[in-house]
Amino acid sequence: MRMKSIFRHETILFLVVIVALVILSIQAEQFATIDNLLNQGRFLTEVSLVALIMTFVIVTGGIDLSVGSILGLSAIVLGVAWKKLGLPLPLAILVALSVGTLAGLFNGIIITRFKVPPLIATLATLALYRGLAEGISQARSIRGYPEWFFILGQGEFFGIPTQLWIVAFFTLLTGFILTYTTWGRATYAIGANETAARFSGIAVDKTKLFIYAASGFAASLAAIIFVSRVSTTRSDMGMGLELDAITAVVLGGTSIFGGKGTIVGTFFGLILIQILKNGLSLAGVKSDGTYIAIGLVLILTLLISNLFNRNSEG
Amino acid sequence: MNTQNENSNKFFSRFLINYGQELVLLASIIILFVVVSQVNHRFLGGNNLNTIFAGNAYIGVAAIGMSILIITGNIDVSVGALIGVLATICGTLAVSGYPIWFAWTAPILVGIAVNSLVGIIVAYAGIPSIVVTLGMMSILRGGLISVTGGDWITDMPEGFFLAQQDFMGIRVPLLALIFFTILMFYIMSNTTWGRSLYAIGGNPEAARTSGIDLKKGVVIAFAVHGMFVGLSTILFATQLNIIQSTVPPNLELTVITASVIGGVSIMGGTGTVIGSSLATILFAAIGSSLIFIGVSAYWLRAIMGILILCTVLADMARRRRVVS
Amino acid sequence: MKKYLLLISGLLFSSSLALAGDWTGGDDLPTNPLPCSGPAPAGEAKPYDGGSPTGAPNRKGKTITVVDVPKLVGIGYFSATTKGILDAAAEMGSMNAKTDGPSEANIDDQITLIDNYITQGVDGVLFAANDPGAIAPVLKKALSKGINVVGYDANSDPDARQWFVNQAEFNGIAKSLVDNMAREIGGSGGVAIVTSTFTTPNQARWIAEMEAYSNKCHPKLEWLETVEAQEDNILSFNQANTLINKYGSDLKGIYGMTSVATPASADAVTQANQCGNIAVVGLATPNAMKPYVNSGCVESVVLWNPVDLGYAAAYVLRAVADGDLKPGATSVNAGKLGELQVINGSEILLGAPYTFNKGNINDFDF
Repeated sequence: MRMKSIFRHETILFLVVIVALVILSIQAEQFATIDNLLNQGRFLTEVSLVALIMTFVIVTGGIDLSVGSILGLSAIVLGVAWKKLGLPLPLAILVALSVGTLAGLFNGIIITRFKVPPLIATLATLALYRGLAEGISQARSIRGYPEWFFILGQGEFFGIPTQLWIVAFFTLLTGFILTYTTWGRATYAIGANETAARFSGIAVDKTKLFIYAASGFAASLAAIIFVSRVSTTRSDMGMGLELDAITAVVLGGTSIFGGKGTIVGTFFGLILIQILKNGLSLAGVKSDGTYIAIGLVLILTLLISNLFNRNSEG
Repeated sequence: MNTQNENSNKFFSRFLINYGQELVLLASIIILFVVVSQVNHRFLGGNNLNTIFAGNAYIGVAAIGMSILIITGNIDVSVGALIGVLATICGTLAVSGYPIWFAWTAPILVGIAVNSLVGIIVAYAGIPSIVVTLGMMSILRGGLISVTGGDWITDMPEGFFLAQQDFMGIRVPLLALIFFTILMFYIMSNTTWGRSLYAIGGNPEAARTSGIDLKKGVVIAFAVHGMFVGLSTILFATQLNIIQSTVPPNLELTVITASVIGGVSIMGGTGTVIGSSLATILFAAIGSSLIFIGVSAYWLRAIMGILILCTVLADMARRRRVVS
Repeated sequence: MKKYLLLISGLLFSSSLALAGDWTGGDDLPTNPLPCSGPAPAGEAKPYDGGSPTGAPNRKGKTITVVDVPKLVGIGYFSATTKGILDAAAEMGSMNAKTDGPSEANIDDQITLIDNYITQGVDGVLFAANDPGAIAPVLKKALSKGINVVGYDANSDPDARQWFVNQAEFNGIAKSLVDNMAREIGGSGGVAIVTSTFTTPNQARWIAEMEAYSNKCHPKLEWLETVEAQEDNILSFNQANTLINKYGSDLKGIYGMTSVATPASADAVTQANQCGNIAVVGLATPNAMKPYVNSGCVESVVLWNPVDLGYAAAYVLRAVADGDLKPGATSVNAGKLGELQVINGSEILLGAPYTFNKGNINDFDF
């Protein structure tokens, strides 16, 4: 029964995506071109990486509001390590990824060791990490990265934008982990009933630590791709990213209360938001209209999905 | 003698359990005031206290509504966007010649209407509040831009500026914050309706069996929250002689942070509005004191983050001690 | 755990003290303060350093579709530039212009929008950049598709666009602000700054130029502090109040660096009954400042006319598309504004910043 209703939301979402695709391609002739759709992948990358791991976080019944700030902090660390400390760029990338992962791990420690609810812990670190980014950067942006570095955010492989390969890889990897591995089952079990999971021998704290660290890693990877895409580093990068990621995850049917959700759903959620932003713009709708449309689609999709699920249950 | 001691101990620990976070916040505020006034005695000057208390009271009033919602296990991320929209309505009515009382009442009524709608969708369609209010935020923000284009509203009539008034030597916003905090604290701890809020958030099954209409309860909680958003808007819109018809940046995060750091459990069921009001004051005081101490402006937000984290960890440490 | 936190905060605090010195909020770029009095020296003629579109069709005399992407929409300032663009488009009769921008000054949303319009196939892009570097790749993409690209208000890297309509040079604005402040407070005293964020490029540039000019020409003006207040009305008001409370009678003047910070600072001074004791000088649009200028609390507001700025940008784009404005040109015709001069290689100067005061502010509506 449960699996069936989960399936249902993704089906409905898929249908909404198809409807949106059809309407938008009729409304705007430039929309349904390979060029445009691949190009949208570039804009989708950062929020996708974060949203994929955010799915795990929310499935455990947690939330990570600090991802946008971790993105900003990692970007600044990358720039400072490379330009100010003079590290070779590959090493600076490693440092930035480590700092992001550590920032996520720190969230995990506050949440598991000190039993601070995730929302509160990450609200606090949202302020902290953004503050560190501002302090370290002294509000200076860092530029002048070598040409090869832009391959990541502006280049392509076999005609497909580089970062799309990375997103595809992570989508498959996270989808596989959440669906088929013990880690994935542990994630669901924690979200469904943490106490029960603990008693049935699942390493709850370890799993959570790992997930929050992964969330930090995803945000810092997104930071590096973002820096490569826009060829500059600023401390205010990624502001508001957390809400975009959460929107995609909940639109994808993941329950904010935990225990339920899929990577497929998040994937469709991401796609739907991006094609709305792009397609409506191409069809001549201004961004204020697009905001309204995304808000309505978010509410209506879940409304329809809930109605169907309720009928099937009742 | 002994039993009396034990009794008072018991009372004390009960008090600590129930109002621990409020005490932590109050102690932090007092320590902050004492320490910073040693560094710069102007910190405790009457004007600065006015800036800290009255200048941020609108956040506290909105956080009262938010706390009520969070206690029932819901949340509202559209609060900043709604305040922007309501302030525009309030100012536009005032300059279009409607009586001032009407300009003041409109944001409250519209606030109640919008949030009741959200409440109905949450309660009767079963969509989590974070989803509905994320959508609502998007809708309100886009709507405000298409309608106003961000114009400044000026030349409001004399007498419109409620938040600039004094009453018995105290600024109206601070009075409003104190009044509504005490009122809601009393209502929430002493009335059936108030206690039902805790039951809805803390243990919905038990609430249902004890005869509480959960769905109606959630809608009413949203409506009351909407009323406080409206009240907050009046303070927000009448504080300056001009109104900017835009969405104030990051206001929803500030309000939510005040509520949850104020001790309102995000899982629902516990917390008081005294905590959220104290947390509002504490954040405002931290922001002001860092400027007074002369912390480099670049590091200001980082230190603010550390202090917020310390408050959270101190509360967790206290809880453990009380439990063990 | 707590020990570490204390240690970290201690470290942060001490490092913050060690870094005192320069005005907070400025950038590191070299400054070029104007002479204290007399005309500005003629700048060296620089060769054209803008970019050029590849394979642009001949658009001379044809009706062109133009999109204007400001830093953000929904604020008065960019509503005014939009009005100027639409006025110019209506006057020329050969331009379909529309404004579309992000709801917050966000580099990513702005880039995404411009990219969408490139796909849609516009003839020209007008922009005001949130970040000069971040916007460069997408603008270069536009150039590579044969789209004419002209900036206004906030520049990008020069080679990422063709021309930039400069509302007023940074050092000119700085001089105007500092001179007005010095005059109003009698040449000496403490001054503080309320800005949006330290990462906003234009504001950081102005603050750096103000520091250089102030040290050179008004050494008795003592900079006290710069505070951030986002683009938030009430936060600006509270921050200005905190400055007033902290410095008491040592504070003689407040610079407002944005069209939000200036009126909010003026309101703070008004409500603290410090009109006449604390001067407010800043950048702001006249509509927001009328209450304070008319009440006499604020003497001078510095700004260019944003309607003219948008108007000029539209005319420049038309001239570029027609091929009338080529690299090496020394001036361009901008309709009712007449001939505008080319400076710095690929910039077109709107004029000197304008000072609004009690005598003229009510003549403007934007």
